[in-house]
Amino acid sequence: MISLPSFLAISFILFVSGLVVMIAKKNIIAILLGVELILNSAALNFAAYTRFVNQNLDGHIMSLFIIIIAAAEAAVGLAIVIRFFQIRESIHIDDATQLLQ
Amino acid sequence: MNSSVVSFFAEAPPYQMAVAKLTEILGFDSSVLMAFVTFFLASFVVVNVMALVGGLGTYAERKISADLQMRLGPNRVGPFGLLQFLADGVKMILKEDIIPRDADRFLFIIAPLFCLGGVFATLAVLPFSSGFTLTHLNIGVFYLLGVSSLVGVGIFLGGFSSNSKWSMLGGMRGASQIISYEVPVTLSIITIVILSGSLAFDKVIGIQGGLPHQWFFLHNPFTLISFFVFFISALAETNRAPFDLPEAESELVSGYHTEYTGMRFAFFALAEYIEVFVVCGVAVALYLGGYQVPFHLSELHFLHDTLGVPMAPARMLGQILEIGSFVTKTIALYYVVIWIRWTLPRLRVDQLMTLCWKYLTPISLFNLVGAAFWMWAFKGESVWTLLANLTNSVGGGH
Amino acid sequence: MFDNFIFLSSAALAIGGALSVVVSTNLMHSCIYLLMSLIGVSGLYVTLSADFLAATQLVVYVGGVVILMLFAIMLTAGSDNKTVNRFGIVKIPPMGNLKTYIMSLLTAGVMGCSVLKMIMNINQTTKLGELPPYSTTVEQIGTLLVTDHVLAFEISSVLLLGALVGAAVIARPRLENEVTK
Repeated sequence: MISLPSFLAISFILFVSGLVVMIAKKNIIAILLGVELILNSAALNFAAYTRFVNQNLDGHIMSLFIIIIAAAEAAVGLAIVIRFFQIRESIHIDDATQLLQ
Repeated sequence: MNSSVVSFFAEAPPYQMAVAKLTEILGFDSSVLMAFVTFFLASFVVVNVMALVGGLGTYAERKISADLQMRLGPNRVGPFGLLQFLADGVKMILKEDIIPRDADRFLFIIAPLFCLGGVFATLAVLPFSSGFTLTHLNIGVFYLLGVSSLVGVGIFLGGFSSNSKWSMLGGMRGASQIISYEVPVTLSIITIVILSGSLAFDKVIGIQGGLPHQWFFLHNPFTLISFFVFFISALAETNRAPFDLPEAESELVSGYHTEYTGMRFAFFALAEYIEVFVVCGVAVALYLGGYQVPFHLSELHFLHDTLGVPMAPARMLGQILEIGSFVTKTIALYYVVIWIRWTLPRLRVDQLMTLCWKYLTPISLFNLVGAAFWMWAFKGESVWTLLANLTNSVGGGH
Repeated sequence: MFDNFIFLSSAALAIGGALSVVVSTNLMHSCIYLLMSLIGVSGLYVTLSADFLAATQLVVYVGGVVILMLFAIMLTAGSDNKTVNRFGIVKIPPMGNLKTYIMSLLTAGVMGCSVLKMIMNINQTTKLGELPPYSTTVEQIGTLLVTDHVLAFEISSVLLLGALVGAAVIARPRLENEVTK
């Protein structure tokens, strides 16, 4: 049961859900949730290939860096969201139409 | 891959006999089934004993606070009022379970479970003794940091979902306090990890010895400082006074669990008391020698060869001595925690954040560098070893 | 047996959480579903013998990212004052509508078909030998991080510092004269 195709299927479902969340929802934070799902599916793929194809742990390092990037992305993204809310009183993605306030 | 309580029991002859018997009866190799049953029973025992410890914690808190304030404290139910927590528990169960009309029902129900689940998950790696630890994970310390942060999520959700001002403020304070103080806690743990070279509790404890001068607490100046940083931050992480701002009675009624009644409230309280025990246990394991017994009293070859105790009782006796050593030190720290709570006044919010970010974090960073320097300069020897070497070489030695 | 049990429960948690994030109409709830999905992924790492990765996932996501997201959701939900506190509890919509859902499902269908076509013949293209036994990876990852991947390691620490300072600067409340400038 624990085999490469099942892990790929799980990560595929995570990826598609992340994609649907990113496109369907118009709240900026919901889009960030989708991004987290997609990053996780990629990291899971790296770990799965490391286990089943080449056992040299480079995939684990890659997943580790993906987690680091995800943390940095979440921090900066949420800071931008909060700043945007202070200016516009809204977190609808369609209100973000200007580069300069 | 990791040794656990199952592998400890698996060495005993009765266990192997039981496995053979079961295999004979059931007709297939039942070692996996037996391992599962053993593990389940051990976890059941640990969880229940820790729930009991949490209950006794409330009793100890009231009794010690009464002592400090020249009162008597609970003394009606049972001898010395010892059964007071059972009476409280019965009262909690019989209370009406209220969910406020405007609360977010799903989050309101799930929040206490996050708290309790996070705390119970940490028990999996808490090293009671060399044999009776649920698992000796290779990443024990790191795992413990990860699952204990579920408590922060639970506190935040409890505050948010109640839909009340007091709960809201308490939950916000709780979550920000917990994620802030995780930084100094982690950095001081890394100080120990650098010196011991492992993230596993059994290796960290194995490097230390039974006597105080062999503990990491007195290993070198940096670990001495890092113990105090760890202890202060751990107090803040478990929301104990003087850092109990999330439930500050004078400002916030009762903080994040204002709207909770009955068993849901009891879950929050129980999670807090068990978490204090866990944190004290971690401090003991990392800094105070863990389950090491002085003079190697608990080691098998001492009990078996020198004292002539038979093999099976010697193993059990050694484990019991180790559990006794661990629990004694942990309870001593628990007493200090309660003592601090009833002695010091509560901090303000800005003082809390100042203490974390302007004092504890830089100090623990300095400790980290210092411990790395110590490893490089003195090859990780303790101060006492260095002093002994020095006196030997000065006095001419051998 | 245990491996299969852990695998099945974590996979159910991960997939169920991810699908609940999609269908949930309350943003706070979907954040909790995301948390469940992330814990499920951490369990999957355990079955992949990546213990360090699993613990990192727990520490970073449960302890950091999800709490940050909960804070951000709470701080940005106050435009409609229907409830007791300023940070409204009922009005946290994900703000999707039928059009966007149809668009997203179409996109997901197209992407899904192409990705499925790629991973369809995975069993033919990769030789799967005997799996190695479970072992700990902490020491090896530590060694790899400071030997082969030391440049990426250093750069990621600079990235994290930049993210920290940047987030603090961006989210800082401005003074009045700064805003009007």
